[in-house]
Amino acid sequence: MLEVILMEKTIYIRMRNRVQVKPEEILLLKDIAQIIASETIYQDLTVLEVKRVSPKDHIHIIDVMKVIHFITAIYPDYEVQAIGPAQTIIEVIYKKKGMSIPFFILVWILLFFGAALTIMNFHEDVSMQTVHKRLYFIMTGKEVEKPLLFQIPYSIGIGVGMILFFNHVFKKRLNEEPSPLEVEMFNYQQSLDQYVILYENKESVKHIDDD
Amino acid sequence: MMTINILFIIMIGLASGLAVGAGFVAFLSVLGVIPRLTQLTKTMKLIAWYEWAVVFGALLGTAGSLRDPELHLSPYVTIPLGLTGGIFVGMMAAALTEVLNVLPILAKRVRVDDKLETLLMAIVLGKVFGSLFHWIYFVGR
Repeated sequence: MLEVILMEKTIYIRMRNRVQVKPEEILLLKDIAQIIASETIYQDLTVLEVKRVSPKDHIHIIDVMKVIHFITAIYPDYEVQAIGPAQTIIEVIYKKKGMSIPFFILVWILLFFGAALTIMNFHEDVSMQTVHKRLYFIMTGKEVEKPLLFQIPYSIGIGVGMILFFNHVFKKRLNEEPSPLEVEMFNYQQSLDQYVILYENKESVKHIDDD
Repeated sequence: MMTINILFIIMIGLASGLAVGAGFVAFLSVLGVIPRLTQLTKTMKLIAWYEWAVVFGALLGTAGSLRDPELHLSPYVTIPLGLTGGIFVGMMAAALTEVLNVLPILAKRVRVDDKLETLLMAIVLGKVFGSLFHWIYFVGR
């Protein structure tokens, strides 16, 4: 019986990792955390107003300690158990900025010709032409100025190799696993999140007062 | 005196070969091309065979470039050779772009997280175009 009572007096919360909000939106507890609580208070808990997003915020961190403090102030006889991430990153989205098409085409052309130039530089750098000519001579015994029979498949192979590595042909993926690029994007986002968690959250770093 | 010279030459050759071989393998490991291939083909258990393939390939390349043999094969033999060589270079290039972390930062900067494949295809097609342009038009000009 004791366990049941204890269960009913406990509120479990799990902070979400990232939450995107519109400016001046009112953040409810259910927006920033998953909640498990007894049915009597669950409905009231979900619509608790935690914070109003102020217009000048871009990124805001809500620490779990603040949330616990907030809940216990309203429900003093309940115990709050926090599980999972210790904070939520609130990202304020001002306007869903779409990519402008001309800008995108510009970047595309930049990458296209940049990639073309770098591969040419690489070929010159390692004397690829000489190597190809000698390889052609070794295989066939013929001296050719332009061993295109070897070089055109080679050029196509470069494209195939890159696609194989990134596991993408346009939108189609070659197998179910995430590609190295997606993992890399994820890692980059994680590092950014780690950074804002430490530096935007005033509670997580304590400095010496030197005045 | 002669024997010492020969021994010395052998030692220098061995030492420089060791350095170059170790460097080659270290470069391959950093880029992680072989693990990526085993992951794609789901042949993790056969990785030792792939290592030997690289070692024998490197030895064959060394022998070929030092001894200049003449095999008198049909020119069409060079087609699969070119294709496989190109795929390898392409994978190296892709791995290098990935190690340098260019794309995630670029995608974030220009806000195209959802159009990443299209940007990727720009690089891929650019490489193929650059390479074809180089061989067909650029060389010998």
